[in-house]
Amino acid sequence: MKIAILSGKGGTGKTTLSVNLFSSLNKVTLIDTDVEEPNSHLFLNGNTYHEEDINKQYPVVDHDLCTLCGECGEFCNFNAIIPAKKKVLVFDDLCHDCGGCKLVCPTNAISYTDKVIGKIFYQSVGDNKQFLYGKLTIGEISGVRIIEHLKNVTKKEEILLIDSPPGTSCSTVASIEGSDYCIIAAEPTPFGLSDMRMVVELLREQKLDFGVVVNKSNLGNDDIYKYLEEESIELLGNIEFREEFAKIIARGELLVDHSEYVRNIMNNIIKKVLGETYA
Amino acid sequence: MKIGICASDHTPESLVAGRFARAPYFAVYNSETLDFAFFNNTAKDEGSGAGGKAVKVLGNLNVDIVLVPELGPKAIDALNAFEIKSYQYKQGKTVREALYEYFEKKLPEMLDASVKGKH
Repeated sequence: MKIAILSGKGGTGKTTLSVNLFSSLNKVTLIDTDVEEPNSHLFLNGNTYHEEDINKQYPVVDHDLCTLCGECGEFCNFNAIIPAKKKVLVFDDLCHDCGGCKLVCPTNAISYTDKVIGKIFYQSVGDNKQFLYGKLTIGEISGVRIIEHLKNVTKKEEILLIDSPPGTSCSTVASIEGSDYCIIAAEPTPFGLSDMRMVVELLREQKLDFGVVVNKSNLGNDDIYKYLEEESIELLGNIEFREEFAKIIARGELLVDHSEYVRNIMNNIIKKVLGETYA
Repeated sequence: MKIGICASDHTPESLVAGRFARAPYFAVYNSETLDFAFFNNTAKDEGSGAGGKAVKVLGNLNVDIVLVPELGPKAIDALNAFEIKSYQYKQGKTVREALYEYFEKKLPEMLDASVKGKH
C-alpha cells in the first residue's frame, strides 16, 4: 500500500507526520520526494549505504551531419534547441528531455548525452526499515525525474510512505501518482485552508482517496472543520499545538519518542488508513 | 543592412519596448530602401526560452543589427550564433529616435548580458 502525505501549504507538518508514522510502523519504507528541500533524513539518523546519481539527457548536435534545416528548433516547445546561422545552439537547462528533436532530425545529427541533475540516498533505519531521499542539484529546473526514480525503486514495498513536496505543481503530482491513499497535513488557519482546497481539487481530479490530519488543531479557527464536513472529507486526527512539541521538532527529534499523546494519534491514523493489523 | 528595434507598437513613432524577448513588435529598418517594416514578435508569449526564440525570429528576418533595452545570457549567445550585433538604447524614446541615435553612434554595443537569466 502506497500512502502519500501532502499539504499544499508548506510548514503544516508533512514531514512531522511522515517521520512519526514511519517510526510507529514495524516494517515500512519512507521516501522523501521533496527533492528541492529534503528534511526527513534529519529526523531519522539513518545509515546511508548507497548513493545514486540521477541523470537527465540533453541533445548534442554533430555539426558535420547537420544541414541547419531547422526542424529541431521548430519541434522544441521549450526553445532549448535553436538552429542559428552556422551551428545549432543547445540550452541544456531548458531541455525537458523529451527526445523529440532527435526524432525529427532528418540527418541523424542529434544524439543525447547525460547530465547529473541530482542524487538519491539509500538509508537503513533501525533493523528492518528503509528510507530513501532525493536531492535536486541547485539551479536544475525539475525534480520530477528524481521523484519518479524514487518511486520506481520502491514500487514493490508492502507499505510505502511518501513525503511529498508542498504545492500542487508537477513535483507534487509526480509524488502522489499511483498512491492508494493520500493524507493531507492541514492547519486550521485561513492560509492552510486556502492551500488545502487546491490539494483537494488536485486529489479529486486524480481520483485518489484521501483524508485529513489537522495539525496545530488548537490554533486558528473552525473554518477547516466546517469545510471538511461540507465536503464530506474524512478527518483522520487532530494534533494539538504544544510548546514542547515545537521544541522537540526544533531539536530534530521525533514526537513519538517523547509523547504518549502523539503515539496514540499516530496509531489511530494507522488503524484508519492501514487497518488494525498494522497498528 | 537591416536593423531590428524592439517596439511597443507598430509605427516608427511608437515607444521602444522595455524588454527584448517580450517586446510586442520588432521594427525592421532597411538602410538601403529606407523603409520600416513591423512584425509581431511571436516569441513574446513563450513559457520558457523566449530570448533564444526572439533571436531566431530576428535571424529569420535577416537582421544584421538589433537595438535592445536589456539582454539575458541566452539571448547574447543566440545573437552571437546568428551573427547579429546588438546596441543598447535608453527607454522612453521612439523607434525612430533610437534608430537616429544608433546612426549618430550614441548607443553602446552590448558584448555581455546586461541582466541575469531567469527560470
